[in-house]
Amino acid sequence: MREMIVSELSQALREIARGFAHLLPRVIVMLILASAGWVIAYAAKAVLRSILRLVKFDKLSENAGATQLLTRAALPSATELLCRFVFWVAWLGFILLGVSVLGIMGLQEQIARFFLFLPRLFVAVFIMFLGLLAASFFSRAALLAAVNANVPSPRVLSLAIRSMIIVFVLSIVFEELGLAEQTMLVAFGIAFGAMMLGLAIAFGMGGRDLARRFLEKKFVRGTKEENEDDLSPL
Amino acid sequence: MPLNPDVLWYKDAIFYQVHVRTFHDSNGDGIGDFQGLEQKLDYLEELGISAIWLMPFFPSPLRDDGYDIADYTAVHSSYGTLEDFRTFLESAHRRGIRVVIEMVLNHTSDQHPWFQESRSGEDNPRRDWYVWSHTDTRYKGTRIIFLDTETSNWAWDPISKSFYWHRFFSHQPDLNYDNPAVREQMWNVMKFWLEMGVDAFRLDAVPYLVEREGTNCENLPETHGILKELRRKLDENFPARMLLAEANQWPADLRPYFGDGDEFHMAFHFPLMPRMFMGLKLEDRKPITEILQQTPEIPSSCQWSLFLRNHDELTLEMVTDIERDYMYDMYAESKTMRLNLGIRRRLAPLLDNDRRRIELMNGMLMSLPGTPIIYYGDEIGMGDNTDLGDRNGVRTPMQWSGGWNGGFSTADPEHLYAPLIQSPVYGYPAVNVFSQRESDHSLLRWMRRIIAVRRSTRVFGRGSIEFLYPANHRILAYLRHSGNEVVLVVNNLSSTAQAVELDLRRYKGNILIEMFGKNMFPRVGDLPYLLTMGPYQFYWFRLRRI
Amino acid sequence: METTAHRAASQKHAAVLRTEMKLAEENFLTDDFLRQLINVGEVDILVGLPTHNNAKTIGSIVQAIQRGILRGFPRERAVIINPDGGSRDGTPALVTEVSIGDSRPTSNLHALRTFHSISTKYASSPASDVALRTILAAAEVLRAKACVVLSPESANIEPEWLSKLLGPIYRDGFDLVTPTYRRHKFEGLLITNLLYPMTRALYGLRVREAYSPEFGFSGPLGSQFLEQNVWNDAANGAGVELRFTLSAIAGKYRIGQSFLGEKDSAGRRGADLVLALRQTAGALFSALEPGFPAWSVATGSQPIPTTGTDQEVILAPLRVNRRRLREMFSTGVAELGSVFASILSLSTLAELQRIARLGEDEFHYPAELWVRTVYELAASYRKSVISRDHIVQALAPLFRGRACTFLMENRNASAGEVENSIEGLCIEFERLKPYLLQMWE
Repeated sequence: MREMIVSELSQALREIARGFAHLLPRVIVMLILASAGWVIAYAAKAVLRSILRLVKFDKLSENAGATQLLTRAALPSATELLCRFVFWVAWLGFILLGVSVLGIMGLQEQIARFFLFLPRLFVAVFIMFLGLLAASFFSRAALLAAVNANVPSPRVLSLAIRSMIIVFVLSIVFEELGLAEQTMLVAFGIAFGAMMLGLAIAFGMGGRDLARRFLEKKFVRGTKEENEDDLSPL
Repeated sequence: MPLNPDVLWYKDAIFYQVHVRTFHDSNGDGIGDFQGLEQKLDYLEELGISAIWLMPFFPSPLRDDGYDIADYTAVHSSYGTLEDFRTFLESAHRRGIRVVIEMVLNHTSDQHPWFQESRSGEDNPRRDWYVWSHTDTRYKGTRIIFLDTETSNWAWDPISKSFYWHRFFSHQPDLNYDNPAVREQMWNVMKFWLEMGVDAFRLDAVPYLVEREGTNCENLPETHGILKELRRKLDENFPARMLLAEANQWPADLRPYFGDGDEFHMAFHFPLMPRMFMGLKLEDRKPITEILQQTPEIPSSCQWSLFLRNHDELTLEMVTDIERDYMYDMYAESKTMRLNLGIRRRLAPLLDNDRRRIELMNGMLMSLPGTPIIYYGDEIGMGDNTDLGDRNGVRTPMQWSGGWNGGFSTADPEHLYAPLIQSPVYGYPAVNVFSQRESDHSLLRWMRRIIAVRRSTRVFGRGSIEFLYPANHRILAYLRHSGNEVVLVVNNLSSTAQAVELDLRRYKGNILIEMFGKNMFPRVGDLPYLLTMGPYQFYWFRLRRI
Repeated sequence: METTAHRAASQKHAAVLRTEMKLAEENFLTDDFLRQLINVGEVDILVGLPTHNNAKTIGSIVQAIQRGILRGFPRERAVIINPDGGSRDGTPALVTEVSIGDSRPTSNLHALRTFHSISTKYASSPASDVALRTILAAAEVLRAKACVVLSPESANIEPEWLSKLLGPIYRDGFDLVTPTYRRHKFEGLLITNLLYPMTRALYGLRVREAYSPEFGFSGPLGSQFLEQNVWNDAANGAGVELRFTLSAIAGKYRIGQSFLGEKDSAGRRGADLVLALRQTAGALFSALEPGFPAWSVATGSQPIPTTGTDQEVILAPLRVNRRRLREMFSTGVAELGSVFASILSLSTLAELQRIARLGEDEFHYPAELWVRTVYELAASYRKSVISRDHIVQALAPLFRGRACTFLMENRNASAGEVENSIEGLCIEFERLKPYLLQMWE
């Protein structure tokens, strides 16, 4: 019986050794890929950093208001963040490539799906960034216009516009990523609709006079009453 | 060449204004005479002249260049005899050239026997031949014409101890046309010359014949009555003769002098002339077109007389104050050039001796509606001498050659009636008939050519005028129509090259034939007709459908 | 060492390049307008009159122009150029009516020569920079010696204005003549409290009305400005007239000013402050970057030759709602805190927030703070910290606060006292110029 155990053991050991022998080169390849990937990813990060510095990406993100968000979240600058993101994605890609070399079943599929997912991830990030830019610009424009037109609660208006744009952008992003598409769509619909309805009621009721005056000015060509405080600035 | 038998010969004529004294001296006394003039008729015939207008050649103290007449039926001894005149007249007629003489109706010299008699006493039979008054307050408000020399229209006569009326110089008393004897006598004077064969009279100073209290004593109905009477007698006894009115008035005021074709045949268009010079300096046709727009229609047998310069100053009476100041500043910077609200300069000096401008002005003279008059010497571009008094600067001897006295006279230069022009630019060695005859490109040769082109068609003398108003205001363009003939005249008044688009749609399908070179220009189509013109250039086109 | 031959050659080369560039660019003048210009030909005087639906006032304006030209320049060749921004009330026809020529005889008018008045539609909606460019292009091809731009909104224009604006250019060799007006002491605060002191401090010339819808300029100055590359800059659509003045100052052209008369403010009451700010402050800020070599070296300020009085002040009482101005200032400071935080310094913002909380009687926006505010905004504008147009809009409530203080300080002031007040502000702007230069680096 001892010989059976020894022979089984040695067979098992031999199989393990064979398995190792089979696997080891792949592991080595994987490690090589991972290291090469690290180098490439690092290079890509450096190149990207130079490019972003050249196009003053930081300033753009400052305009977008993204920088403020990041600072509040104690995150590094937008350029840095993007570079690191690209670095990690690149390196992860190479690692996964290496893993795929290992030839483990099932994993291949997931890896393939990961790679297919990447472009959509990039697009989503891009859309998010643009959305933040737009939200910041339009909300500020609305704020200034409201303040200069002496409209009450200008910040509320500004915030409302910012929220609407962000909600809209988020729903696009989620749709792009394919995460809970239907849910997001419906949720967006409800939220947007509710917001609009709320605004309509608020403005409709509260802004009756304003609306009347506005319409009068636009369509009724009567004599212009001179406001006593209307000096000519020029 | 026989005389043109047409009763309307004056519409097709080219007039040449000359003073016999200035043209050519045959007897070496330094003063031009009729024999000398007769010797130069070939020159005038060659130039293309068909009528000579002679300045006054009657016996006269010559205090107003002969317009102060002391004997109406004789010739001043300096110029020859009556026989010389007759010979000259016949010689001219043989060459197909008519003769127009002056007839000063309004006034005589104070040396005239009639005035001597009139002033001798109140009971003299000729007393009433002039306008006498014991005061100088009658006819108040009548304007003074010779502003530079006269201060009143009345002059005191020490012999007759009363005032006499004179619209011009004080030594030119006005005849009294309310007196039928005066009218009778003046007709007899005219008859004298008409019977000799004179073809026409230029009646000087006609607006002023009659005076009436409470008026401006110009253009009165009585004056017109007298003139109509003269015309009637003329037509009755001497058909195909002509009366030319000298009346410096606005066109509307001139119109009555044509009557219904029963008064004057021709009248000078005075207001046009300064405006041609103005338009040239402004580089804008507006002054020219406006005055012609304001020119009234005249009876079909009548004709305007056009001129660029004459023996008088370039008169600026018929322009506004702004226009007069502009003309003075542009054309007479020196005060010596100004006289009696006018400018006393010849054509060439006025145009800075610019050959292109001289040609352009002559081109307009020959193509605007009317009969052109060339002032002697302007056909060779003679200059002037503003240092000679009054208007004598433009009445210097004709320059025939570069030789002795410019070929005018064999006398000593000191004996000439007036000094020759000596300047390097206009002097007789530089500007004379002889050398211009030799040169193909001289002004004289060019004048001959343009006169020939003008005479080749009746449309310029007889046709109507229709102005085109191209958007480029520097271009003066008009159409002359006569019967089936249409001529397009385009003048560039600017010193720079111009492009102009003419609306010739009505003449679509016609080709344009340039009248000097006889070359064809493109056919008129639907689009505006584009012409490009050099500085001061002009075109005459005959429109032809072929 | 560059020899004269080399310099001549390089100048010639530059000229050839410029011509080539000009040929390569699109045609700016339409064919039809060009044909009209060809027919006008060379002129001595050019009057530019941009319009858009001004049929009510334009008739009397062009009559005044015509009289002004006939009286002041009877011998000169003149033209009215009317760039129209798509009027629908027949304004262009009213402008061209006033031309004098032989094709339409006009009695009672003694004009020595033809007087042209031509119109072109440059766009379907008004744009003042395109209108000015049209006028400059016309002036260049017509080789106009002296030009003037007039505003269809100045219904009170007098014929003498033409001589006052054109005379110094045509006869005395000036290149730019800006107007001065008789105004109420409280009108034109944007000019007296911002534009005049700042241009004076930065550019070193005391041009009272650097931004004005009517001014005179010489042919060479117009041509030079036409060649500058300001026309494709969308931000400069408004206030290009200011760029014109600054360009003349920077180019060391001969500048003068002429007193015209009363400024017609009736049509301008109720005008949009933000639009006015764009035309003035916005244009000024945007001009600072390219104009840096010029204004950075100027120190102090010099007066410019003036015809007539400097300007006159009307002291009639005027009811002004100061409280509303102060409230809008306070609201603005409060609501726009986040915006201001990115474009103003911390100390300035803190100071503004402090005075925003002051009551009616204690409210005071001191000159020094105002100057710092404006300079900081100018610096932020340059860096484009946020959208540049937003920076200009943010200036509106701040200006209202300053206006309120000015009205308070001068409510009983005489003409001399108002002028001293403005002079004091100017000196403050000049004194703090190094501050702007510091932020600029």
